[in-house]
Parts: sequence; C-alpha cells; structure tokens
Amino acid sequence: MISLDQIIRLIFFPPIFITIVFPGLIALLIVIVFLIWLERKIAAKVQLRYGPLYILKPLGGVIQTVADLLRYLFAEVIIPRRADKFSFIMAPILSFGFAFIPIVALPISSKYFAFKSDLSLLVVLALLTIAPIFILIIGWASDNKFSFIGSLREGYMIMAYEVPLFLSVLAMAILYNTLDIIEIVETQSKWVWGILLNPIAAFVFLICTFMMTARFPFEISEAEQEIVMGPFTEYTGIIFGLCMSYSYIKLYILSLLFAYLFLGGWYPIVWPFTLNPIMPGIITLIKGLIVMIIGIFLRSVYPRFRVDQTLRIGWEGMFVLSIVALILSFSLVILVK
Amino acid sequence: MSEDKFMQVLIGPQHPGSGHMRFIVKMDGDIISEFEPDIGYVHRAVEKIAESKRYIQIVPLVERPILADTANINLGYILALERLLGIDAPPRAQYLRTLLAEINRIHSHLYGLGIHGIMIGSSTIFMWCFADREIWIELAQELTGARITYSYMIPGGVRRDLPNGFNEKLSKAIAYMEERLKDYEKIFINNPVVTARLIDVGIIKKDDAIKLGIVGPNLRASGVAYDVRKIEPYCAYPEIDFDIIVRKEGDAYSRVLVRFEEIKQSMKIVKQVVEKIPSGPIINESYLKLIPPKLREKAEQTGIWKMPAIFINLKPRKGEAISRVEAGRGEVTHYIVSDGSPNPYRFRVVTPSFRNLIAFKYTMPGHRLADIPAIYGSLDYFPPSADR
Repeated sequence: MISLDQIIRLIFFPPIFITIVFPGLIALLIVIVFLIWLERKIAAKVQLRYGPLYILKPLGGVIQTVADLLRYLFAEVIIPRRADKFSFIMAPILSFGFAFIPIVALPISSKYFAFKSDLSLLVVLALLTIAPIFILIIGWASDNKFSFIGSLREGYMIMAYEVPLFLSVLAMAILYNTLDIIEIVETQSKWVWGILLNPIAAFVFLICTFMMTARFPFEISEAEQEIVMGPFTEYTGIIFGLCMSYSYIKLYILSLLFAYLFLGGWYPIVWPFTLNPIMPGIITLIKGLIVMIIGIFLRSVYPRFRVDQTLRIGWEGMFVLSIVALILSFSLVILVK
Repeated sequence: MSEDKFMQVLIGPQHPGSGHMRFIVKMDGDIISEFEPDIGYVHRAVEKIAESKRYIQIVPLVERPILADTANINLGYILALERLLGIDAPPRAQYLRTLLAEINRIHSHLYGLGIHGIMIGSSTIFMWCFADREIWIELAQELTGARITYSYMIPGGVRRDLPNGFNEKLSKAIAYMEERLKDYEKIFINNPVVTARLIDVGIIKKDDAIKLGIVGPNLRASGVAYDVRKIEPYCAYPEIDFDIIVRKEGDAYSRVLVRFEEIKQSMKIVKQVVEKIPSGPIINESYLKLIPPKLREKAEQTGIWKMPAIFINLKPRKGEAISRVEAGRGEVTHYIVSDGSPNPYRFRVVTPSFRNLIAFKYTMPGHRLADIPAIYGSLDYFPPSADR
C-alpha cells in the first residue's frame, strides 16, 4: 500500500517536482495557456476589441488556448507528398523536446533542485542552442520555398542573437564569479540585483530573448505577410501546435533565466516558507512572468523589422553593447577587489 | 529550385500578403531581381456587362470593383453621363456630392493605412483604422442609407437630402478623428520600426512617376502637385479652399504621410461643405417635372427622392463623353460611347489601381523580399479595382 504521505513525498522529490510540476510540464502548460490568452487580450485591449471571450465567459475566455489546442489535436496531420517524412515529423518534436530539456537545470531554491552542477547556467544555454538547429531541418524537410526562406532567416538570426546573449551571460558570470545558477542567486541576495549591477547586460539579454523567441518587432522568421508562416508553413494539426508552443517555451525558460540572473531569483523569501518549494517557485515565476508580459506586449506596439535590420541590430547594436557589458563587469570586479 | 543562382518565388494568389493577384518574383539571395505582377484573378468584366445594361443600371455596377471608394467612382460615371445628357446638377446637389466624395476619401485612406499597417506587422494600426473607418461609414449611411455601396449620385442630382442633425454628427466625428490622428502619429507614423521599414524604401522619382503615369497620392508623394480636384475642378471643389499635399521624397513613408495629411484636408473640405451648402432642389428641374406630383410632395417632406421608373429609358444623344475624377487612390477616367440607344455602345473605366500597377514592376527590383508588403501597402493597390 502506498500511503498519501508517500505520494506527497514522491511528488515533492526534486527531480520529479521540477520536471513535472514546476518549472516543468504542468507549470509550463498553464503559463503557455495563460500567456497566449494574455497576449491576445492585451492586444485586444490596445486595439479596442474584446479578444477571446466566449470560452469560460466569467473569466474572460481564459481557456481559449485550451480550446485551440483541442482543435489542433483533432485536426488532420497532412504531410506533403514531396516532404522528407522522417525529418518532417521528427524535427518539430525534437525542437520542442530540446527547448523543454533545459528546465531540468533550473533550480527552485538553494536547497531545492534536480541536480547541482557548477555549470548549470552553461547547461541551460547549451541545451537552448540545440533547438534552433531543428528549425533549419524543418525548412529543408518541408520542401516549400517559404519554409526554406523562413528557416534561412532563422539561421541568420541564430548567430546574431546567440553571440550577444552568451556574452551578456558571461558578463554576469564574471560579476558573480560562478556559472552555477544557485550561487548566482545567492550572491545577488548578498549584494544587489544583477539588473542594477550591470543594466547593459540585462538590456542585451532582454532584446536577445525577444529575438530568440520571435517576439515583435523581431518576428522575422514567421512573418505572415511575407513568408506565410515561415518554417512552419506546411504543418497542420498537433505538430503545428508543437511548433507554435516552441517559441513560448523558449520565452518561458529565458524569462526564468532572466529572473535568476538579473532579478534576484527566488529572493526575497519570507521566513516560514524557506524550505517549501512553493513560495520561492511563485516568486521566481512572478518575476519571469513580468519579463514575458513585456515580451508579449510589444506585439501591440511595434511592427516587424526586416531581416537585414535585425542582423544589424544584433551585430552592430547588441554585440557591441554586450562587449561594453563585459568591460563594465571587469571594471566592477576590479573595483571591488 | 533551379540550378542557377536565382530562385523563383510565386507569391499569391493564396498568400496572406498578396491580395487577389500573383507576384512572380525572381530572387537573387534576399534581393529581388525581377518582379512581375500577374493580375486578372478577380476580373468581372464590368465594362462588357455595362454594354448590356441601361444607363441607370450601371450606377451600382461601377461601384462593385472599387468597394472601398464607391462614391468617387460613381461620381465619375455620373459626370460623364451628365455630359452626354447635357444636364447639370443643381448647386445643392453638387455640394452633397462633394460631401459624400470626401467622406468616402477619408474612409478609403483609413482602409489603405490600416492594410499597410498589417502588411508590415502592426496589427494595432489596422484595428484602429478599421474601427475609426466605421464612424465615417455610419455618417455616409446617415446621408445615403447604405454603408458601402451608396449609389447616391443619379443623373441630374442626388438621391437624398441632408438629414436632420447631420451637422452635429459630422462635427463630432471630425473632433474625434482629429484626436485619433494624434494617436496614429504616436503608434504608427512616428514609430521607430515603421520609419526604419518605410523610409528610403520603394522610391519612385519624380520623372519616373510622370513617365510611368502613376496617379493619386502616390504621384503627389513623388513631388508632382497633380490633383484633378484642382486642375479640372468639378462639383463644388472650385468654391472650396484646400491644399494639395505634396512630398518630395517619393518613398513608401512619404506616400503614407501624403495619405495621412489628406485625411486632414478632407475633413477641412467636409467642414466647409456643410457651412457653405446652398438651399434649393437636389435634382435637376427638368427631371423634377417627370416625378408625379404626389411623390414629389412626399419627397419634399422626407428629403428622400425615389427615381421614377421612366429613368430606365434614359437615352443620351449619340456621341461620346469623358470625365475625370480624383478618387481616394487617384484619378479615375470614365469614357462612354453612346449610339443613341438606352444601352451604352462602349463603356470604359480606367481605375487608379490599374494605373499604379506598373509601379510594382519598376519599384520592387533591388529591394528585399520583406519589402514587398511594405511597398505594396504603400501604393494602396486594390486588385479588384485594377481587374474590374
């Protein structure tokens, strides 16, 4: 007989809790459903309309995304005759999977984590860089010119956003003198938040996050009026649903990472909840949500840039700024010593 | 994909950014090297159908291809027909025609601005323009009884008189729109992403614009002060004070600005029209006699005139007539050949979109794939209008 106590202990066993509950699958699903709804609702508010309303009307149609997801689930998955079937089906699944895996390296609090590593920050970033490769494979496998152009655009963008993003993270790692997310947050609780220490790095990280997750004004690879749906033009049904949620997963992970790196992670904790994973988790999630909401709000303000303009922003703007952030970090470290 | 370094991309007709047409684009990397617009997907043979219709039946027919700008295209047809018939509308009718034409110009420009917004990715300006367009459509409905297809102008006058309380509604709409235009400036006109996307994109130089025969706001954005309302004034325009908006740059951004400023000018015209409008009949005296006395009495009370059935046998003299009108998107030319029968022998309408079409072919090469919607939207091209 398994007692209730055992079940609770099993659920709160860190490797299971982190992958399944928070920040893993369940929290992710809730956040995506909420985020897509909020994105549409905010845009609707700005644009003088109602937005999603009729599904669960008392709550303003908050589960509209669930209904959409169900529709995707029951829609026929059409595979074009000339597509490379294996890569066509596997690439979105793998990109979804690899976008999701970095979650295991995200801790909830200093005493609650799936595994402790000196390089957990590096693990998250390294795993995040694998997913875009499958977008390139999608573009090739679909055998559609718009998919091809879209994935090429994504390919150009990868270089433009990843280098500044990594450099800004490096700047923070130099500042905290560690690559362990737990230690980074602990260091911030002793000093001040990272965003005050190195605002330039925070800015670069934020902009590169929006580039990476195809938020406006960097929604280049999926530009509807130019290349239909970019890499995902040929997809239907639930695989299209995977493609759609892919960028939101990345936004979710990068926003949490932003909270860890720049916003002090799970601090400040109120005393009685120190050991419990719920309170620190909620604090981190709220900080992450703020970043995500900034990202989705941009949709109702900006149109999109051209791909060459985005590359210029990446290389001439963000890259230079990230170098400045590095220098700032070095000088801060020298000043303190 | 072919083996050479060019890639041919077919955009449309089933594409979110193409409209009812196809672009055959030859790409050299991300740069367009050849651009061929392929039109005709919504051809409805308006000119041929017109040959089998009575003159009065053509009034609603000409509206169909240019749904965003029906009043102006209608006005052009009526002016040509009136020249054939040798009659004129009374002054009050002329002012009412001007009023509707300008209200229509405003919502046509809002339509173009909104579509351009969504084409470069700003869904906000799209929604705002289409929401505010509603106000002008409601006003036009108040005046004519229809939202889009007004069929308001008839030979010799207009169908309805100014309704009660129209002036207050109009001044309310103008005050609201002036406030909204400030919001538009913030979110779209002065948006850094919009300026980055549109400035120095799709430049049509002054000489090229004249050579290619571009019309309307697109021509004025290239530095040519050409407006039929000033050059060959019709209706009440000679008595009304307004400016031609001209910009020198000739790029996509200046075309947006010209449209944006023209909305303000149109509001200025509308204001003057309701101030200066003379009293009097709204249909030509000679046609007024044809209406039975009972109907005429009723019409004088309500201000709504019903055309008597006798109008179906309208027979103009043998000959031909041409008219030019400045519509929202540019100059519309109507040409009617009459052989003295109740049907036109030949009817021809040259729409502004058809004349602006050529700009695609010569403006696009050298730009990037992402510039196609930016330039397309800035030309305010409307495929059904070009295909007729």
